Amino acid sequence: MKNYFYAVIMVAFVFGCKSEPKEEKVEELTVYTHRHYESDQALFKLFEKQNDIKLNVVNASADELIQKMKLEGKQSPADVLITVDAGRLYRAKSEGLLQPISNKLIDSIVPANLRDTDKQWVGLTKRARVIAYSKDRVDPKDLSTYEDLTSEKWKNKILVRSSSNIYNQSLLASLISNRGNDFAENWANGLVENMARTPKGNDRDQVKAVANNEGDLAIVNTYYIGKLLNSEDESELEAGNSVGIFFPNQDTSGTHVNVSGIGVAKYAPHKENAIKFIEFLLQEEAQKIFAGSNYEYPINKNVEPAKILKDWGSFKEDTLQLNELGENNKEAVIIFDKVGWK
Amino acid sequence: MKITDRFYKFKRDLNKWSLFLVLIVAAVAIPILTVIFKLFDGPGESWTHIVNYVLLDYLVNSFVLSLLCSVFVIVFGVTTAWLVSRFEFPFRKQLEWLLILPLSVPAYIMAYSYAGIFGYSGLFSDAVGLLGIENFSIDFMNIYGLSFVLSISLFPYVYVSSRTFFLAQATNLLEASRMLGITEFKSFFKLILPLARPAIIAGLVLVLMEVLNDYGAASYYGVSTFTTGIFRSWFSLGEPETAIYLSAILLVLVFGLIIFEKWQRRHIKFTSAKSSKQQHNSRIKPTKRKQLVFSLICLLPVFIGFFLPVTQLLFWVSQTFTKVWSTDFIGITLQSFGIAFLTSLMTVLIALLLLFFSKWNKIGFLKTTSKLGVMGYAIPGTIIAIGVLIPSIYLDKWLIEQGITSKLILNATLIALVYAYVVRFLAVAYQPLESSSLKIDRSLSDSSKVLGKGNFKTFFKIEFPLIRAGLLSAFILVFIDILKELPLTLIMKPYNVNTLAVKAFEYASDEMVRSAALPSLLIILTALIPAIFLNKLLLKNANNS
Repeated sequence: MKNYFYAVIMVAFVFGCKSEPKEEKVEELTVYTHRHYESDQALFKLFEKQNDIKLNVVNASADELIQKMKLEGKQSPADVLITVDAGRLYRAKSEGLLQPISNKLIDSIVPANLRDTDKQWVGLTKRARVIAYSKDRVDPKDLSTYEDLTSEKWKNKILVRSSSNIYNQSLLASLISNRGNDFAENWANGLVENMARTPKGNDRDQVKAVANNEGDLAIVNTYYIGKLLNSEDESELEAGNSVGIFFPNQDTSGTHVNVSGIGVAKYAPHKENAIKFIEFLLQEEAQKIFAGSNYEYPINKNVEPAKILKDWGSFKEDTLQLNELGENNKEAVIIFDKVGWK
Repeated sequence: MKITDRFYKFKRDLNKWSLFLVLIVAAVAIPILTVIFKLFDGPGESWTHIVNYVLLDYLVNSFVLSLLCSVFVIVFGVTTAWLVSRFEFPFRKQLEWLLILPLSVPAYIMAYSYAGIFGYSGLFSDAVGLLGIENFSIDFMNIYGLSFVLSISLFPYVYVSSRTFFLAQATNLLEASRMLGITEFKSFFKLILPLARPAIIAGLVLVLMEVLNDYGAASYYGVSTFTTGIFRSWFSLGEPETAIYLSAILLVLVFGLIIFEKWQRRHIKFTSAKSSKQQHNSRIKPTKRKQLVFSLICLLPVFIGFFLPVTQLLFWVSQTFTKVWSTDFIGITLQSFGIAFLTSLMTVLIALLLLFFSKWNKIGFLKTTSKLGVMGYAIPGTIIAIGVLIPSIYLDKWLIEQGITSKLILNATLIALVYAYVVRFLAVAYQPLESSSLKIDRSLSDSSKVLGKGNFKTFFKIEFPLIRAGLLSAFILVFIDILKELPLTLIMKPYNVNTLAVKAFEYASDEMVRSAALPSLLIILTALIPAIFLNKLLLKNANNS
């Protein structure tokens, strides 16, 4: 028993220690990313193979990465920063952590509202925040806009997660931009009044709660529904199938869209590789992987979304310049606190 | 006059241990002090907003949560510890180590699996469905559910610290009380509980620190606590200053708690282990029926804290195994084990030095200051990470300026990671060590010193054998904690190091809880190895001496 134990320790020790890489002249790229998806790991491997560039990946939340980059300053090894929302890229930009990139390919692929006005970041994929309604209990004709969710008929019917979640903050930030501060505060207040329960759980849980008759409408991101509908679990499939997808604000401002995006670090030691990496991520091969395995909307027009997403049909997107989500993010959180959206 | 008196007293009391102590405390406290110094920058601009709208909510929820968890962990932890160390009943030996296992389930994974069990078409509603009630589910995701989930995964801290105490407790007191015709139960309340207080509180302090800085479970269950507030001010309001400000308040509260505890037991001496001969422990054999009841009582927390959630995890693994499994997992498991093993050794060693240097040092003021070294556990991992990053990057930059290196060499290496772990988990090693060393009568080491033996010799001959049980518990607890650790690992780890907890988190943060089940199970299995092995040593130790 004892000997086995020591053997295991020895082996583990060797594995633990072999972490320092040998100094060789290899092309490198250091990626600070908030994305934890499987699709990304596949993409990283593909990029390494195609370009013979070694990727160093640091995975943490965008805010922690931003803080780390700030502390590291000029010596930061980071080449690119990837986040799951535009607001964080805006934050990194205003902290002076990114640098502008002029690149024709990027400009030709990414629509102007989904990239920075000063060329400091670009969107990679899109996600829409939509209404999932119970097919049994709700007639989609009764649905129209985000604004309408505060009306009396949805009293105790709405399910939505905590306001600590960035997607809710972005949604409210877009309302602040489109309709002004006071309107946004009234809206958030009205929505809290209509909630079926205090916010808890994640987006998938909101859909499950609709299936379980705890409420009729859930405000969720599209790709979570895509994942539910491809789950290996029967009850998740059932939950996914029990709801219909409604794209709000089709006759007005358009459905709220956010991006997962990327920016080149100000002190990037491998700027050229970084640009190569961004070009790679925006081109069709990579965009297909984003779309296929993670059910996000590709930003490249030549790539079709996954079949499930296509079945929901195309929709009118809110064309708000996404920097505004970042500008209004703090105000949104303050409103959430004021109206008691937990 | 007075000042010179003090100076002479200080000069008389100053010895080399005081200097060593200062060095160790300084090394451990630098990140913590960095966080505290950050306070002088003041909070961010949203501070008044937080005070006006949410601070009260954070305080009330954290307080209620701490209170509920305290009651729960004491009831479960102390009862089970007392039963397994005082009585003989079926499966006692197995239960003795099974009771540590709930600790190996990360709290947020516990939270997910209980939400799964009680949620929509979960195990519970299926079970009730068999009775003919359709689609019945309990709303588990609230502050009570959260208290339950946290308590059931943390009560082993109290169990381990009180059991270490009960096992080593001289039985002569109990023998005496039994001879005087006092029942075992009465002497439990009159004698054992008051005596075991420092051990129980040592465990409880750890539980409360962990409860206070839990983030994953609380945010999933939608309960706003101090720590979710810290994260919200940083991540949502974009004000790390405010986050640090809030954690400093939390730190002051916890420090106050520890000082208060020390102060209120200042006149009580808890020494008892006069010689190891008396530690012979004879267990009472109660009636058959009572034995059965005792087995069941001890089985209950193991069942709800381990078997039930693990069953849920196994079910999820069965659904996702083919998709998630890759051979990478073997390497990741070994890496996690290696890092946790090395770091636990380091942490226990440093805790030991801290404890004994502080004992050998004669300056009272320094003894109190040494408590600063164990504050890391009360600070959320992300904030510790900042506390470690700031000085280590500063040092890195200085090295670059001196022309010694050309790039950051401490940042994102194993050294920085291990250092951060030690700062974070020192308390976990320190508490069981302190509570087991408190039992050693000073006269033992004093007489050894009178007989001309030095501090070190006394330590190895007298104190070390007496606190061995405490050392082993400390090691297991730190080991398990490091295996589970998350936010700190994410920020501090080198690129090519990966741990199971990171893997589990990657899936869970993407709302793929089912896929996170596999790495979570591997964490549990890895934690089992030292838990079982060291428990055997612990028992052998207790029986032999």
